[in-house]
Amino acid sequence: MLEILIKSAVLIGGIMTAAAYFVLLERRMAAWVQDRIGPSRVGAPLSLLGLKDLRLWGLGQPAADGLKMIMKEEYTPSHVDRRLYVVAPIVILAAAIATYAVIPFGSLLPPMEIGGEKVGPIQLTVAPGVDVGIIYVFALSSIAVYGVILGGWASNNKYSFLGGLRSSAQLIAYELPLGLGILGVVLASGSLNLERIMAAQAAQGWYAILQPLGFVVFVVAAFAEAARLPFDLPECEQELIGGYHTEYAGMKLLLFLVAEFLHMITASFLIVILFLGGWHFPLITGEADATIISWPVALARLLVLHGKIFLVIVFFMWVRWSWPRFRFDQLMNLAWKIMLPLGIVNFVAVAVLEEIRHSYGPDESTWAWSLGIIAASWVVFAAAWLLTSVANPLVTDNRPRRDLAPLEVDSPL
Amino acid sequence: MSHWLLTETLHLSEALLLAEGLPGWREVLLCRSFWAILLGGLAVWLLLPNRIAYGKTLGGVLGIIGAGLFAADWPLLGNWTDQGVFWLLALITIGAAASTICSRSPVYSAIWFALSILGTAGLFFYNGAQFLGVATVVVYAGAIVVTFLFVIMLAQPAGHSDYDRITWGWFPKTFSVLTAAVFVGLLTMLLGNLKTAAEAPVEPAALAAAAERLEQPGGVLNSAHMANVGKHLFTEHLISVELAGTLLLAALVGAVAMAIQGKPRLATQIEEALR
Repeated sequence: MLEILIKSAVLIGGIMTAAAYFVLLERRMAAWVQDRIGPSRVGAPLSLLGLKDLRLWGLGQPAADGLKMIMKEEYTPSHVDRRLYVVAPIVILAAAIATYAVIPFGSLLPPMEIGGEKVGPIQLTVAPGVDVGIIYVFALSSIAVYGVILGGWASNNKYSFLGGLRSSAQLIAYELPLGLGILGVVLASGSLNLERIMAAQAAQGWYAILQPLGFVVFVVAAFAEAARLPFDLPECEQELIGGYHTEYAGMKLLLFLVAEFLHMITASFLIVILFLGGWHFPLITGEADATIISWPVALARLLVLHGKIFLVIVFFMWVRWSWPRFRFDQLMNLAWKIMLPLGIVNFVAVAVLEEIRHSYGPDESTWAWSLGIIAASWVVFAAAWLLTSVANPLVTDNRPRRDLAPLEVDSPL
Repeated sequence: MSHWLLTETLHLSEALLLAEGLPGWREVLLCRSFWAILLGGLAVWLLLPNRIAYGKTLGGVLGIIGAGLFAADWPLLGNWTDQGVFWLLALITIGAAASTICSRSPVYSAIWFALSILGTAGLFFYNGAQFLGVATVVVYAGAIVVTFLFVIMLAQPAGHSDYDRITWGWFPKTFSVLTAAVFVGLLTMLLGNLKTAAEAPVEPAALAAAAERLEQPGGVLNSAHMANVGKHLFTEHLISVELAGTLLLAALVGAVAMAIQGKPRLATQIEEALR
C-alpha cells in the first residue's frame, strides 16, 4: 500500500512539474521558430530579500505562470449551468491523471534495503500487472470526452458549444485509427499489458520498424486525440475564440490547459511504449525478461525511456510550429478515408505475417526471417500509402472551387 | 402422449412445491430486505418529479434508510476496507441510477447514467473482472452515452424537454415504481432467499480460499485472465462473435446508406447546375 502511495505521489508530482516545464519549453521553442527570444527573465526573485535578481534562463517562468493563474479572479458568467460548469474541468483532469495508473514510467528497480527491511524488485508502474492496461487507457481517454462536451455545453455559449461538438466528433473519429494502430501491436506482442509489450519489443525489435504503417496511423491519431496542431480545431482562435473553454477563467482554465498538456504527455508515453521500444536500447539495457536487474541497467532503462519520451514531446512541439491547421472536412476525410483504411491494411498485414511466421518460421527467430518480415511490412507500407494517396488525395487547396462556383447562392457567375 | 402427460405432471408438481415453499406473512414482515425494497420504491416515487412539498428531501432520506436496511441484510466481508469500497461503489451505482430517472434535464440524466456505468465498472474491477470493467466503460460510457449526450445537446440546447413539462398523472409513475420494486424483490428473494435474521460475517479463511480459487487457471484473478477471455470468446462463442460482428457491419452499411440517401453524386450535381 505504502509502495503504491509513494509511486503515485512521485508520478503525479513528476508529470505535473514536467507539464509546467514543458510549457516553458514550448514557449521557448515557439520563440525560436518565430525568431524571438521568449520568456527568459523570470528566475529567482532575490530582490524580495534585497539582493540582485537571478534570471536563470527563465526557469522561474512556470512558477510565475501558475501563481498568476491561481491569483486571477475566478469569474463565473451568470448564464452558465453552474454544476456542470464546475464538474467539467475536474472530469477532464481526473481522467487525464488516472490514465497514468497503468502506464509504466520505468522498468524495474533492483532489490534494496530500506531501514533494515528488504524491499523486493519494485516495478515502476503504479498498478503493475494490469492485464488490460491498454484498454484501460482507451477507456479513460473516452471519459475525457465528457469534460470537453460538458465544458462546451455548460458554458451556454455558441462558440464553446461548437468547440465542444467539434472536439467530440474529432475524438470519436480518431479513436478508430488509434485502436487499429494498437491492434497490430497487441497481435504481435500477444498481450495488452504495457510492461509486457515493452519486453516483447526488446525481444522482437521495435514495432516502429516492424509495423511502419501502424506507427504512422497511431502517431497521427495520437496527435488528433491530444488535440495538438494540426488537429487543434476544438479551440482554434480564429473561428471559435477559445473553443470549449472560452468561458473559463483562473484555476478552472488552468485545469483544462494542464489536462490538454497531460494528454500530449500520455500520447508520447504511448508512442514510445508501443512503438519505440520503451526502455529498450540495443546493448545497454540488459536482458529483456530478467526479473532482477542491477542499478546501472535500471538507471539506463529509466534514462532511455524518458529520453525517448522527451524527444517525442519535442517532436510534438516542433510539428505544432511547422504545420498549419486542418479544415474540419479535411480532418474528417483524413480520419475516415485515409487513416481508417490504412489501419485496417496494417492490421491484416500484421495478422498475415504473424501467421506465416507461426506456421512456417523457425522456432528461434533468425536474422533472415526477421529481415524478411521487416522488408515485407515496409513493402506493404509503401504500397498502401501509394494506393490511398492516389485514391484519396487530401485536398489542401483552400481556394474556392471554380467548378462548384455556380452552385453557390451568391455566385458571381 | 404419455410423455406429454409426464412432463405436465412434473410441471404441476414443481408449481406445487414452489407454492409450498412460499414464505408466510410473518417471515415476509420480519425480512429486512422486504422493508428495504418497500422504502426504496417509496423513495423513488417521491424523487420522481412531483409537486409534493419536501418530496425530494423525504425521498432521499427514505432512500438512504432503505439502502442501509438492504446492506444490513447481507453478510459482512471479513475486511472493513473491502466492505467500505464495495458499499461506496454500490451506493454510487444505485444512487446515480436513481438520479438518472429522477432528473428533469435529459443532459443531467445522461451524466448520471454515465456515472452509474462507471460505478458498475468499478464493481467489476473490484471483483477482478478487469476486462468486463474496462469494456463496460469503453462501450457504454465512452461510446453510447456520449452519443446520447451529443444528440440531446443538439436537439435541446435549452435543457428541459417538452415531455418533462407534461405530467403523465399519478398512474404510470406509481405503476412503474411498483413494477420495478416487485421485480427487484423477486430477484432478491430468488437469489438470496428470505432472511429473517442477520447472517454471520464471512470467515477470513473462506475468503482466502475463494481468492485462491479465482487465481487458478480460468479464474478472473489469474494473470492470463485476458488470454483466457480471448480463448473462450474465439473458441466456444465464435459464432456469436461473428454474428455480432456481421450485425454491426450491417448497421454500419445501413447508416452510410441513410446518410447518402437522396444526395446525388457531386458530378451529377455539377452537371445539373451547369445545365
